[in-house]
Amino acid sequence: MPPQWIKTIGLAAALVSSACTGAIGRGDDARPDGGGDTVNDTIAKGLCVVDTPIRRLTRFEYNNTVRDLLGDTTNPADVLPPEEEVAGFNNQAAALTSSDLLIEQYMKVAEDVSERAVQNLTGLLPCDPALDGEDACALSFIESFGRRAYRRVLSQSEIARFKSLFDWALQDADLGRFKDGIQLVIEAALQSPKFLYRAELGEETPIEGDIVPFTSWEMATKLSYMLWNSMPDDELFAAAEADALRTKDQIKAQAVRMIEDDKARDVIRNFHTQWLMLTHLDSVTKDTGVYPTFRGSLRPLWKEEIQAFIEHVIMEGDGSLQTLLTADYSFMNEELAAFYGDDVLDSVTGSEFRQVQLDPARRAGLLSTAGLMATHANLNQSSPVFRGKFVREQLMCDTLPLPPNDLVIEPPELDPNKTTKEQFEEIGANPSCSGCHALMNPIGFIFEHYDGVGLWRDQQNGKDIDATGEVVQTEDIDGTYDGAVELAHALAESTQVRECVSSQWFRFAYNRTVTTEDSCSLEQLNQVFADSGFDIKTLLVELTQTNAFLYRRAVDLDSGGAQ
Amino acid sequence: MLKGTIFGGTVAIGLPMLDAMLPRRSAAQTGTAPKRIVFWFTANGTRQDVWSPPANMDLSGHALHASLAPFSQKLIFLDGVDQSIAYDSIGDGHQTGMACLLTNAEILPGDLFCEGSCDAGNEQYVGWGGGQSVDQYLAAEIEKDVITKFKSLELGVQVRSASVWSRMSYADADKPVPPREDPNQNFTDFFSDLDSDPFALQLIQRRRKSVLDAVMEDHAAFQQGLGYEDKQKLDKHLQSIRDLETRLAVSTNFGEACATPELELPGGGYEQNDMYPITGKAQMDMLVMALACDLTRVASLQWSRSVSNVRFNWVTQRLDEGHHGLSHYDDNNADSQADLLEINKWYSEQFAYLLGLMDGIQEGENTLLDNTVVVWVNELGKGNTHTRRDIPFMLAGSCGGYFQTGQHLDLGGEPHGKLLVSLTHALDKPVSTFGAPQYSQGPLSGLT
Repeated sequence: MPPQWIKTIGLAAALVSSACTGAIGRGDDARPDGGGDTVNDTIAKGLCVVDTPIRRLTRFEYNNTVRDLLGDTTNPADVLPPEEEVAGFNNQAAALTSSDLLIEQYMKVAEDVSERAVQNLTGLLPCDPALDGEDACALSFIESFGRRAYRRVLSQSEIARFKSLFDWALQDADLGRFKDGIQLVIEAALQSPKFLYRAELGEETPIEGDIVPFTSWEMATKLSYMLWNSMPDDELFAAAEADALRTKDQIKAQAVRMIEDDKARDVIRNFHTQWLMLTHLDSVTKDTGVYPTFRGSLRPLWKEEIQAFIEHVIMEGDGSLQTLLTADYSFMNEELAAFYGDDVLDSVTGSEFRQVQLDPARRAGLLSTAGLMATHANLNQSSPVFRGKFVREQLMCDTLPLPPNDLVIEPPELDPNKTTKEQFEEIGANPSCSGCHALMNPIGFIFEHYDGVGLWRDQQNGKDIDATGEVVQTEDIDGTYDGAVELAHALAESTQVRECVSSQWFRFAYNRTVTTEDSCSLEQLNQVFADSGFDIKTLLVELTQTNAFLYRRAVDLDSGGAQ
Repeated sequence: MLKGTIFGGTVAIGLPMLDAMLPRRSAAQTGTAPKRIVFWFTANGTRQDVWSPPANMDLSGHALHASLAPFSQKLIFLDGVDQSIAYDSIGDGHQTGMACLLTNAEILPGDLFCEGSCDAGNEQYVGWGGGQSVDQYLAAEIEKDVITKFKSLELGVQVRSASVWSRMSYADADKPVPPREDPNQNFTDFFSDLDSDPFALQLIQRRRKSVLDAVMEDHAAFQQGLGYEDKQKLDKHLQSIRDLETRLAVSTNFGEACATPELELPGGGYEQNDMYPITGKAQMDMLVMALACDLTRVASLQWSRSVSNVRFNWVTQRLDEGHHGLSHYDDNNADSQADLLEINKWYSEQFAYLLGLMDGIQEGENTLLDNTVVVWVNELGKGNTHTRRDIPFMLAGSCGGYFQTGQHLDLGGEPHGKLLVSLTHALDKPVSTFGAPQYSQGPLSGLT
């Protein structure tokens, strides 16, 4: 007889258990068919090349772009409708749609941005209308601004169109000022699909079959949006103008430079916010009866700890995935360190975050941060299910099914005589649950030393914590582990985890899911990642070196529409 | 609610006289106020066991709907209407409940959204909704007669994400329509013209037209170089620019027919959980004024999204959990049942507030409410089973006398596609079927 918290309707239970008994699903793309060839410059470039769909800028990219284009730091795109999120990321080309509302808001945002931009006309213009003449100065502005806005040299007809809009403004009875004309040019450019979408169509002449490389201008844009989530800087534009973004070495040199820029830090934060689902932290709440130390002001501190730690490891530290997963240090300010208590070995004062040494027996890397532990927990207790699911899906790229629709589920009531583990073991033992929950709960048990707000505990309800759990159905880390520190080190050595991380970056960086055609690019990434000792920066640079990045299939003008 | 006290105490609305509320355009065209339709969405099902009204329609002691008592003669409660299509469609309970709700179409196959329908080893991903939704159909049809400032207005209260779980309006298959969620922004977008003097307004319109013309002209060559799917994507973008440009020329009859509402705006915190009531109220205030000003004839107000996990801290709750979590407890759990009652009662109170605003605006012999049909929809019947049968559909307002209100019908399992057909008839844009024909053979009987 099933326990009372679960009621099955129809065949729901049977479906669940069967769903998790065979091979576990991998994330849509973690394991494409293995292509055997190693990639080098001499093999057919047809391998691992796909179409590159146009993609409109995300709000984050729009904000960064107008910051770099016009010095507008107001994050004006925040008012736009949110991006469609798929596969965990909000920058996936296939999912981003447009709507009447979006287009209307683009107009209003462009009006606001352009109005602010012309408030400091002198700083904006490459010329002086009084000295150089209004017409000449307008043309000069259109050329230089247009090139940066469209990320390529404008055609004569494009220049002429902007100029006639400028002229229209000057002739309008109520506008008429030079400044009005400039404002309208900016306003129109910001609403143009040429600004709003990235269209990297490639050269006209294929190098082989229908495989085309990108122009240097396109490559500058690809690099800057991948590594900075923003438009190219002057150096990239100069390289584009000199047609010096052609070879892998030229591209790599830029990538190596770019990765050290502060703008890359924003991208690293953006990626981890999405990969680790850190936005959930913004709304975490706890039962303060059970967790009296919880308060809303902890949320931003928890989040900043994770971000500051990641940023430090990648940008200043040894940069390795192992360190991200196992470091015995973190970043905290006084309030956060006080919250962690004895686990922090250094004393911290003030509100600034600084590096702190942690008790290596209790804490290891990202996964044991209070922020992640508290997010993946219930209101009044930890959640082995959520924690196991998080590790399984985000770090191992497994796909686990949700319980079927017609299953009524309640988390167990708090039992003062049992540990959380004991209670969840009872649920997991139910045959209708065990198929899937055997994959999650035992991993969650390994985190049982952390309570619902991520604080260390040795006992619960007067009983010693048992943080052992058996990890099953993995590629290379099956076994029993005692505590998160031990598990973290195993995860850090796991090929499955390493390849999962590179595929997550692949999706984020290329704005699309991985297809079977990407196998050789992924293999190359994984190889270089491994050779570097799993250095994240090396992985990011290598993302500019794959055929998936360097080439595309030529635009097929006849498909679809002509049929 | 007293007639004339539009928007309660927080709003001073500068109307010279109430009959001036009759929009001039429609008066000139038809001599009567236009018909409007509003969809009102709440999530996670309801307390089906107590949802229905008593036989005499006296709601004064009703567990959920006591606040609707003043409007009982303007309501139709529908029992026994199922989202039958949702059981044919791919996708999980919430996905189908949401995407089929106004489309009566199956979800498209695709690789966008996984989760609930994602069986390991046999991952099932789905795409967006598979057809035009009835609100967008009506908006497109009405646009053939009259161009309003907005083709339709979709308002949202903390919908937040953009996914198949959070979209009920579709311009077409695969073309979800996002709601407007920021009341502060909406206030500007809807009513800023009201404060501008006519010359300034003309200038804005002139400027925008020139700029958009330039954008459109700039575009043709660009599109030539694109592949088919990219071209499709941009076609839609450009169509939206064209529509926007068309609408620029539409000026609302400010001053005479409507005025800027003064209302409490939530400021930057409109997305915070505890601002949910204030955000919702601001959206309702503006929605009603937008209708009164004839800014649009088709609107919706979407409270959160399917799988909503709003925490109703402002009603008395026994369990400290979000809505979706609460909706998953067993029916025998007294605490969660009590909480769900409070939540759905609160939604009824909000509905009553909206109806009160609408019924307080006189349009000739009738009120704005009388000239409208407000349709309360939900993606589920009940949360813990995810049933999409016996959805708690409620209609308010007779849509210019089309519906016979003040009644409770039990339709015994009719597909909801027939309700959508009924709505097209009510708005004088009748179709014989809507979406899946097998689930929409003509209108529901007994409504008129």
